[in-house]
Amino acid sequence: MKMTRREFAKANAVAVAAATAGMAIPAGATNLITNADLTRLNWNKAPCRFCGVGCSVMVATQGNRIVATHGDIHSEVNRGLNCVKGYFLSKILYGQDRLQQPLLRKRNGVYDKRGDFEPVSWDEALDLMADKFKSAIREHGPESVAMFGSGQWTIWEGYAASKLFKAGLRSNNIDPNARHCMASAVFAFMRAFGSDEPMGVYDDIEHANAFVLWGSNMAEMHPILWTRVTDRRLSYPETQVAVLSTFQHRSFDLADIPMVMKPNADVVILNYIANHIIQTDRVDRDFVENHTNFVRAVDDIGYGLRDEHPLQQAAANADEPNRWTEMSFDEFADHVADFTLERAARESGVSESRLERLAELYADPDIKVMSFWTMGVNQHTRGVWVNNLIYNLHLLTGKISEPGNSPFSLTGQPSACGTAREVGTFAHRLPADRVVTNPEHRREAEQIWKLPEGTIPERVGFHAVEQSRKLKDGAIKVYWTQVNNNMQAGPNTQQEILPGWRNEEAFVIVSDIYPTASAQAADLILPAASWVEKEGAFGNSERRTQFFHQLIDAPGEARSDLWQLVELAKRIDVADVWPSELLDKAPEYRDKTLFELLYANGQVDSYPLSDMEEGYANQEAEAFGFYIQKGLFEEYARFGRGKGKDLDAFDNYHQNRGKRWPVVDGQETLWRYREGYDPYVEEGRGVQFYAKPDDRALIFAVPDEPPPESPDEEYPYWLSTGRVLEHWHTGSMTRRVPELHRAVPAALLYMHPEDAREEGMRRGSEVKVISRRGEVRLRVETRGRVTPPRGLVYVPFFDANRLINNVVLDATDPISKQTDFKKCAVRLELVSLA
Amino acid sequence: MKWLTMLSLSLVLVVAGLAIAEERRDDSAPDGLRPGGTLSQSLPAPPMAGEPRDAGREVLNYPEQPPVIPHGIRDYQIDTRANRCLTCHSREHAVQAGAPMVSVSHFRDRHQQVLAAVSPDRYFCTQCHVPQTDASPIVSNTFLNVDEVLGEMLRQQREGGGQ
Amino acid sequence: MKRWLITYWRILMRPSMHFSLGFLTLGGFIAGILFWGGFNTAVEATNTQQFCISCHEMERNPYREMQGRIHDVNRSGVGAQCADCHVPHGWTHKMARKMEASKEVWGWIFGTIRTEEQFEDKRRELAEREWARLEANDSLECRNCHDFESMDFTQQSSRAAQAHSTTLAEGEATCITCHKGIAHELPDMSEFYQHTATGLPGIESWVAHLKRDAPVPGYPEN
Repeated sequence: MKMTRREFAKANAVAVAAATAGMAIPAGATNLITNADLTRLNWNKAPCRFCGVGCSVMVATQGNRIVATHGDIHSEVNRGLNCVKGYFLSKILYGQDRLQQPLLRKRNGVYDKRGDFEPVSWDEALDLMADKFKSAIREHGPESVAMFGSGQWTIWEGYAASKLFKAGLRSNNIDPNARHCMASAVFAFMRAFGSDEPMGVYDDIEHANAFVLWGSNMAEMHPILWTRVTDRRLSYPETQVAVLSTFQHRSFDLADIPMVMKPNADVVILNYIANHIIQTDRVDRDFVENHTNFVRAVDDIGYGLRDEHPLQQAAANADEPNRWTEMSFDEFADHVADFTLERAARESGVSESRLERLAELYADPDIKVMSFWTMGVNQHTRGVWVNNLIYNLHLLTGKISEPGNSPFSLTGQPSACGTAREVGTFAHRLPADRVVTNPEHRREAEQIWKLPEGTIPERVGFHAVEQSRKLKDGAIKVYWTQVNNNMQAGPNTQQEILPGWRNEEAFVIVSDIYPTASAQAADLILPAASWVEKEGAFGNSERRTQFFHQLIDAPGEARSDLWQLVELAKRIDVADVWPSELLDKAPEYRDKTLFELLYANGQVDSYPLSDMEEGYANQEAEAFGFYIQKGLFEEYARFGRGKGKDLDAFDNYHQNRGKRWPVVDGQETLWRYREGYDPYVEEGRGVQFYAKPDDRALIFAVPDEPPPESPDEEYPYWLSTGRVLEHWHTGSMTRRVPELHRAVPAALLYMHPEDAREEGMRRGSEVKVISRRGEVRLRVETRGRVTPPRGLVYVPFFDANRLINNVVLDATDPISKQTDFKKCAVRLELVSLA
Repeated sequence: MKWLTMLSLSLVLVVAGLAIAEERRDDSAPDGLRPGGTLSQSLPAPPMAGEPRDAGREVLNYPEQPPVIPHGIRDYQIDTRANRCLTCHSREHAVQAGAPMVSVSHFRDRHQQVLAAVSPDRYFCTQCHVPQTDASPIVSNTFLNVDEVLGEMLRQQREGGGQ
Repeated sequence: MKRWLITYWRILMRPSMHFSLGFLTLGGFIAGILFWGGFNTAVEATNTQQFCISCHEMERNPYREMQGRIHDVNRSGVGAQCADCHVPHGWTHKMARKMEASKEVWGWIFGTIRTEEQFEDKRRELAEREWARLEANDSLECRNCHDFESMDFTQQSSRAAQAHSTTLAEGEATCITCHKGIAHELPDMSEFYQHTATGLPGIESWVAHLKRDAPVPGYPEN
C-alpha cells in the first residue's frame, strides 16, 4: 500500500472529521474515490464455489479480503452471469464463527470422547490423529480407518486424499459425498459407454429444439444453465421444454409440457417412450446396428439396505446387481411392448396427450433433444436403471454425441466430476475410470505411484452409507471427513449416523470452516481454508477443468485440506501401516514416512517454488518447499493421458477459463465419440464408443420394480427432500450471508392446501413429520415455490435446525449405492395450528 | 425395609443410566447455525418469518451485487406467459411506475451485444433478485465493503505512521 | 294441437267451482313464495364454490391457481369465492349472467375443454371474456368489496395512490384495466404488450435477436 503524504493527509482529515462527528467513515464522501491507487481493485478469476455448472467469477480483493465478486464475461459457461448465490460469494467466508484453531474433546487435559471441546495446537491435533490411525490399523487392520470426502475438494486435495488412503494406509474406505449425488450417473455411464461423464457439452443448449428435464429443477439447482435454456426457449419460440417431476417447481414456469408424475413412475414412462419409438418405426436402424448392443439387466436387485433387512433377504440378486445378459433387438422390442401409453398414463398419473408429446420429442427425427437430469434420477433406488433408460432413447434414435442431441447428466457439486469422478475418490475407483477390483488397473496405479505390486487393496471400500453403518457397528475406529456435512446430509441420521459418530469405539475428525452439525458431532474439529484461500482446481459437468489461485489468506490457524492431509502423512511411517511382506518387496520404504512415500516421491515434489506464477501466495507450497499442487496435478494427469481423459498442461489452466477434456494437442473436445470432434475416434468411423471393447454402447432392458417404502395407512404421505436456489446444500456458507438467509430463513414443509385442510393444518402451522426412523418439526407452506400434488410433501435439507434426514430411509440404489432421498413414507402430526 | 431401599436405589440407577444413555448422544459442542449439543433433539420450529410488503431498498455490498427485492412478491407471475416484475421495472414503465429500471447489463446477451429488449437469459428475475423476510441472522457476517476495508487500511497506516 | 290449446285455455278461464277466492289467492301466494324460494335456492346453489369446481376442468385450473392467493386467503379471513367475482350481485345482472352461463353447461356436456391442453388453448379467450365483461360493467364485482369511496390513499403506496386518485377517479380506467392476473394466472400476454394500460410485456418482445448464435463449424444446421 503506497500513498503519498498529501493523499494520506487528505484522507486522514476526512476520517478524523467523520470520527468526531460520531459516524462511520462515509468513504463515498471522501476523496478516496479519486485516488486510483486505492480504488483499483485486484481482480482474479475463480470458478464458483457452489454447483456443478462451474461458472467463472471475478473476485476482487483488497487488503487481504474479498470485497466484491461478479460473473466473468470471458467465461463460456456463464458469460458474466451468476445466480444469487454466486453474486454473494464475497460474503460466504466471513461468517462470524469461522473456525480458526483445532478443537479437541478433552477431559482433565487429555482426549476424552465424552469431553468438551478445547482449543489445541495443530501439532497436538495431528499427533493424536496419527496415533489413532496407526493404532487402529495395527490392531484392527486398514479397514478400520475411513474417510468421507467431497466433490467440493479441489482436484489435488481429492488426489492427495485418495493416494493417502489407497496407497499409504492401504484402505479403500474413502468415498466422496458425490456418492449421495452422482454415483448412479457414474455407474450408468460405465455400463452404457465404458467411460464416465457426458459426451456432450453446454453448447448443446444453443443447438437443441427440445429440452426434457427428468426430475430436475434446473431453475433452482443449475440456475445459469437454466438461463441458457430460457434464452434458447424464448428466442426460438418453436423450442419445446418438457418438465417431469413428482411435484411442481420453478422449472415448470418455462414448461410447454409440464408433467407431475407419481413417484417411481419414471421407469414405466421411459420404457413406454422406447416402445413408442419402436412402434412408430422411428428407430435409427443404421445407428443401432452399427453402434449398439442390447442387453437385459438382472432384476430383483434389492434396495441397498442392511443385509439383514427382510427386503434384502427377499431379493434374488442383491449380491450382484450390476450384471446383464445379451439380447436381440426383437427381444428388446418385446420387452418394452408391455409398456403401453395407457399403462404409462395410468401408472404415472400424467395424461396420455402429454406423454405422447414427450415421446415425440425423442421419436421425431427432426427434433434435436437434450435430456437433463440430476437428483430426481440419481437419488433413486433404481437410479442406475433410469440413467440407462434415458440413454436408451438417445441411442435408439441416434440422437447422441452431436450438437443439440445430448443426454446430459448434470452434477451437483463444483468438482463432482473433477475430483470425485475423474480422480476416482470413490471407494471402488482409481484415477481415470480405473477400478480397484481390476488387477491391471491397480498395477498401473502402483507403477505411476512407484509402489510395490499388491499395495492397493483389491476389495471395494465402504461407501458412504456403509461407512455410517460400520461406524455404528464399531468396525470403523477412525473416521475423517473433509468439506462435507454428512450429519445433516446423510440419510437416517438418528438411527445410523449419529449413533455411529458418537460410538465410543470411533474417533471422528471433521475438517470444516464453520461449526456444522457434523463438526458438532465430531471428536476433533480442524479449521479449514476454503475456496480462494488456497490454490485450487475444479472440474464441472461438461468436463471443463478450471483453476484458481490463492487470493487471500485463511483466517487464524485455518489450513487447507491438502495441508492437513500432507501434514498427517508426515507423522505416519510406512512401517507403521504396511505389513512386513509388502515392506520386503520395497525395503527402500522401510524407513520412510508416508509423506516421503506419497508426496516427496521424486514426482510430486519435482516442481520448485519458482514455477509458481508471480504475485500469488500459496500457503501449502511455501509450507512444503515445493509447488505441491502442480506436482500432484502432473502426477495425476499421467493417468488420463492417452486414455481419452487427457488434461492440458498445468500452467495453461491458470490463464484460460478452463478446457474440456480430452485436451489433445492443446485442443479441447466438445462432442465425444463423434468423428470430427473427438480425436480418439478413428477415421471413417463416424461414431465410435471407443471405451467399450467392441466400440458399441449398451441399450438396457430393465423391468419396473416397486420402491422399498410406499405410503400406507400409518404413514400416508410421500416425502421428497431437496434443495433451494438460495442455499448451498446444508447451508453452512449461504445461511451465514444475511441476504440469502433473509430470503429463505428456514426449511418449510411444502404441501398441497387440500391435504393441509384435511389434516386440520394451514400455512404457518407447526407440524411433526414422522417416519419409522425419526421426526422433525417444521412449519407448513401451502403457497411456496414448490407445489406438491396431493399425497406428497417436500422439505429442503439446508436447515441445520430441521434435520429432515432424521426421517429419510437409508435405502440406496443397489448398483450405485446412492441414497434415495426422494421418496419415503411419512405421517404428519399437528403441534400447533399457528 | 432394606429391600425397598435396594429397589429404589437400583431404580434410581436405572433411570440415571437411561438419562445418561440418552444424554450421551448429545455431547457438548460449539454453537453454529444449530445450538451445540442438540443433535438428537427435534427442535421446535419458530414461526414463519414475516414478509414485509415494503422492506425499503438496501445499500449494495458492491456495485455488481443484484439488489435484493425491497417489496413483497406474493402471487407474482413470472412464466412464459407473463412477467409481472417487468410491468414496473421495464425501460418503458419504470419512470411512470416509480420503480428502478432493470440495469443496462440486462440488455446484453451472452455475446455482450446490446439488444432492443431485456435479454431472454435474464427473464427469470428471481434467479438473482430475492425478496427479504424480516428474519434476523442466526450468525452475523463480518464482510467489509471496500470502503470499510480502505478505511481500515488507512487507519492501520495512520497508526503505523505515528510510530 | 290447436284444439288441445283451446280446451286448456277454457279450463284456465273458467272460474273455480271448488276453492274459495281467498284460498286461491293465498295458495297462489304461498306457491309463489315456494317457487321463488326454490328458484333462488337453486340459483344460489349454482353460485357455491362446490358447484363451480364440481367440474374437473374448473377444479384443475382456475381453482388451483386461485388457492393461496390474496383473494383466497388473507389475514382476517376474507376470501372470495368464484361467484363473488364472476357473478354480479344485482338480480338482473345475475340472471343475465346465469343465462349466459348456460352456454358453459353446453360446453361441459360436449367437452369443449377436457384436456389441460384444451384449457391452455382457451385460456386467453376465457380471460379476455372476463376482462371485457368487467371493463363493460366498470368492474362491478370488484367494487362490491373494494369501494372507491372507502379507499384511504394515505395507506396506499405512492404509486397506487397516484393511479387510484387520477385515472381511476376520473373513470379513465377501471379496476380490471390494471389488476389483471391477480386471482388466476395470466394467459400469454405477448400481444398485449403495446395495447394495454399496464403494458405487460410478452415473450414476443424478447425475440430480439433470432439466429444470432453462430453455427457450429463443420456441422450442418437445419
